[in-house]
Amino acid sequence: MEHGSFTDNSVATFSLTDEDHTIANAVRFTLNQDPRVTFCGYSIPHPSEARVNIRVETTGDPAREVLKDACQNLMLMCRHVRCTFDKAVEDFKASNAVKAMKIDSQDSSGDDSEESE
Amino acid sequence: MEGISYQRFPKVKIRELKDDYAKFELRDTDASMANALRRVMISEVPTIAIDLVEIEVNSSVLNDEFIAHRLGLIPLTSERAMSMRFSRDCDACDGDGQCEFCSVEFHLRAKCISDQTLDVTSKDLYSSDHTVVPVDFTDNAGYDSTEPRGIIIVKLRRGQELRLRAIARKGIGKDHAKWSPAATVTFMYEPEIHINEDLMESLTLEEKLSFVESSPTKVFDIDPNTQQVVVVDPEAYTYDDEVLKKAEAMGKPGLVEIYAKEDSFIFTVESTGAIKASQLVLNAIEILKQKLDAVRLSEDTVEADDQFGELGAHMQGG
Repeated sequence: MEHGSFTDNSVATFSLTDEDHTIANAVRFTLNQDPRVTFCGYSIPHPSEARVNIRVETTGDPAREVLKDACQNLMLMCRHVRCTFDKAVEDFKASNAVKAMKIDSQDSSGDDSEESE
Repeated sequence: MEGISYQRFPKVKIRELKDDYAKFELRDTDASMANALRRVMISEVPTIAIDLVEIEVNSSVLNDEFIAHRLGLIPLTSERAMSMRFSRDCDACDGDGQCEFCSVEFHLRAKCISDQTLDVTSKDLYSSDHTVVPVDFTDNAGYDSTEPRGIIIVKLRRGQELRLRAIARKGIGKDHAKWSPAATVTFMYEPEIHINEDLMESLTLEEKLSFVESSPTKVFDIDPNTQQVVVVDPEAYTYDDEVLKKAEAMGKPGLVEIYAKEDSFIFTVESTGAIKASQLVLNAIEILKQKLDAVRLSEDTVEADDQFGELGAHMQGG
């Protein structure tokens, strides 16, 4: 839901239902990274109601586009984190497997304290 | 130049990874992103938990709703949860939410016939889907010398019986804590500790020892070879300012400088066993992307609503 002016579409307030600080703070941070944004902030009108108002003011671009771009950037960041995490898990498992093989080959008797992965 | 944003790309490094515990570092991102990840892990990653209980016979000492509440809190292996549908969204069944696509059926039958107390545990719950079963908590180290037990639901005396049928559904932690897959998720800022070596030289060994002792967690230690104070574990620092207060009390403020790196976080994720810890983080990122998609694609522009009155009042001169 967008509350803006018909004549000036570079400033607007977006009211999101069923959302909370989780997404609002992250989107606010990404909006701040965008150089086209002059002002951005979010508020929660009442804690019992799941509604978030995000205010965006830009240097001329339509606020709606800027918000969409911010969401896109945040999604790219999430995708990147996911790939990096996947890779890190694989590296960790590989290095652990190597360590386990080294330990096995060095120890003659089984170790009781060997933890499984 | 237009279109260039100062977007950074975060880095991840894993420190420890077990089935139900993961510790990793997240660098080059902001606290809001880390917090969003933490909040999603706790409240919006879906799992499967018992939601509807039909009790046929209950002659135990606990009443029906007590047992139903306990059954709901039992963690079930929820690998299927991400691909399952919510019961309310399922169109295969007639809306009563009990078809095979949106729910899993369990049943439990226990009757005590011996004189010994019978423990009815989560291992007595039989599932209609072998991928969704109560989590098995057997320790590999085998601290329990007896055979592995499940979570105790109720204890029965001779002649007492419990017979019930339960339906488990998909849900998120926001609705009820039984659906939260995370036992605890924490993140801390990575500390950066600088010791002022010149000021440190001016201390005697006893003063150095008392300085090292003043920290509640073992952050510093005296190097036995050089008799110098060294940082032994910077991450044990819990941002209490005890060492700083001690330095001031000794008359040497600035002896140690401790900063929190604003873009470096150490996450500790403990799962209940419903989902593996690494899978939990991946699911959380997936859910965050879905939420962002929903915001991006919603073309709603509702004019003249009741809410706008409150909206205008809430924003002063917006």
